[in-house]
Amino acid sequence: MTQFNELYDAILNGDAKKAHAATQAALDAGAEPMTLIAESMVPAMDEVGRLFEQEEYFVPELLLAGRAMKGAMELLRPRMTASGEKLSTRVVIGTVKGDLHDIGKNIVASMLEGSGFEVIDLGADVPAEKFVAAVEERKPQFVCMSALLTVTMPAMKTTIDALRSAGLRTRVKVLVGGAPVTMQYAQEIGADGYSENASGAVGLVRNLLAGA
Amino acid sequence: MDHSNPPIDRAFYLELAARGLRMPIGTDLAMHEESEPEEVRDNGDALARVIARAARRWGTPLAVPLMDLRLEKLDLMTIAGVPEEERERYHFTAPLEQAALEKLCAEQDGPLCPGSRARDEALARIGAQPDLVPVGMAIGPFSLTTRLMADPITAAAMAGSGVEAEDAEEVKLLWQCLRMAEAAVLRAVRSQMRHGAKAIMICEPAACTAFISPRQLKAGSNLFERLVMEPNLRVKAALEEAGCNLIFHDCGELIDPMVEAFAQRIHPVVLSLGSSHKLWEDARLTPSDVVLYGNLPTKSFYSDGAMPVEEVVRRTQELAEKMKACGHPFILGSECDVLFVAEAQDAIRKKVEAMMTGTAAV
Repeated sequence: MTQFNELYDAILNGDAKKAHAATQAALDAGAEPMTLIAESMVPAMDEVGRLFEQEEYFVPELLLAGRAMKGAMELLRPRMTASGEKLSTRVVIGTVKGDLHDIGKNIVASMLEGSGFEVIDLGADVPAEKFVAAVEERKPQFVCMSALLTVTMPAMKTTIDALRSAGLRTRVKVLVGGAPVTMQYAQEIGADGYSENASGAVGLVRNLLAGA
Repeated sequence: MDHSNPPIDRAFYLELAARGLRMPIGTDLAMHEESEPEEVRDNGDALARVIARAARRWGTPLAVPLMDLRLEKLDLMTIAGVPEEERERYHFTAPLEQAALEKLCAEQDGPLCPGSRARDEALARIGAQPDLVPVGMAIGPFSLTTRLMADPITAAAMAGSGVEAEDAEEVKLLWQCLRMAEAAVLRAVRSQMRHGAKAIMICEPAACTAFISPRQLKAGSNLFERLVMEPNLRVKAALEEAGCNLIFHDCGELIDPMVEAFAQRIHPVVLSLGSSHKLWEDARLTPSDVVLYGNLPTKSFYSDGAMPVEEVVRRTQELAEKMKACGHPFILGSECDVLFVAEAQDAIRKKVEAMMTGTAAV
């Protein structure tokens, strides 16, 4: 189906209007939403991630691709809801308490969503209790936390401790990232994983799901 | 030294470099030695004492204030009538009516938020101390723009791909925010100059490859010129007109044409860059009358694992040696402001000392 290729190209080129049109055309032609996600959207976002790793794409290209993908998803969601289809993996994401920087977090959220995961974005300056409540209510498999400042990084540990105190720590994998965060820091605070960029975060989620 | 007669010549900074000055941007560390550090932010007298103490501790005449890049936004939000508790996180979500935009771009009598008033009062007090140079601080127009919108990168990327203001609300809002931001920065620098600033550090950390795509620039986009260079050149002109020196800081990821534009066209007295740069390589792009400042990885100083003190010493020595070898005027220092982290205060202090002395024997 040509619309599948058109949607793939539109996402890769960050063209939201073309992505919307190609998705609508594919649905009109009888395509299933989950097939569109699996055969066009996820491969396109994977390619975007690959180009980013190769420094051919930069953060602006990631966001344009994410925007195109989101526009397409908006057309698919009502149909998926109506047919009872759900994305299989749920991720809760937020920037930790005291930190208003949300651009890095938004990029990770966009890449995860584009890779076929359901993303619940709690926003910025998110207190530990809000992460705990989201895990209790939404039952995600992953919690992703971001911090841009050295002064707000300790809130990541506070949040992990709060999840532990609430008896929820073993229910979720906790991933952390942000400019000052390192693998060593992630290990020190008891996180399950760390990535230095958005496409790495997608790979990390996939690896953890695969049990790697 | 007596700095009471403006303006200070470019030669002053070259002389500081020639005599081997080392200094962190460390006023936040000094502030956190106070019993109630957060109260210092809004108290001009206390802030001046902290700024002066930081400068004297590290043996520099440059009295650099807190790098609090929230202040111009808080001032702008005050004019916009945003409730106090929402000002820091407020984002414009749709283009403004022309009258509202003009109001936000208009001249004002002075800074409005307590932190800005304290910063200006501190400048006046520092100016009365003959051994110190009162240095002002402001966020750059583009970096402030990115704080006024929820998703500035996408809007900038759309503009970079050729989308015009009349085609997309995001792009229209981007240009409106840039106009508001430039006006806010100009208000802030003019106020600081009225209070005696002899130099002002303009911080543009968002003017980098995370916000402006090198791919788009390579394809011919003039986005960097319109978003970063044009407003900053107007800020530079305002400073020059008042005889105030420009110190330009950008710790973001940059490509060579960006460094070149900052060094040669903005032509600050001091250019401060982030730790991802090899300053001895950037020296080739930088005129010999621009002092390069930086750029040890102070953002990692909190972690003994990621940045042990021995590595700080190694990098300090490498930087000092390579800058000496390339012969470019240079002041060794931090890649950005060194922030206090309660849980890691000893580690940070130890590494700042290592940076200053080039040894781990603290």
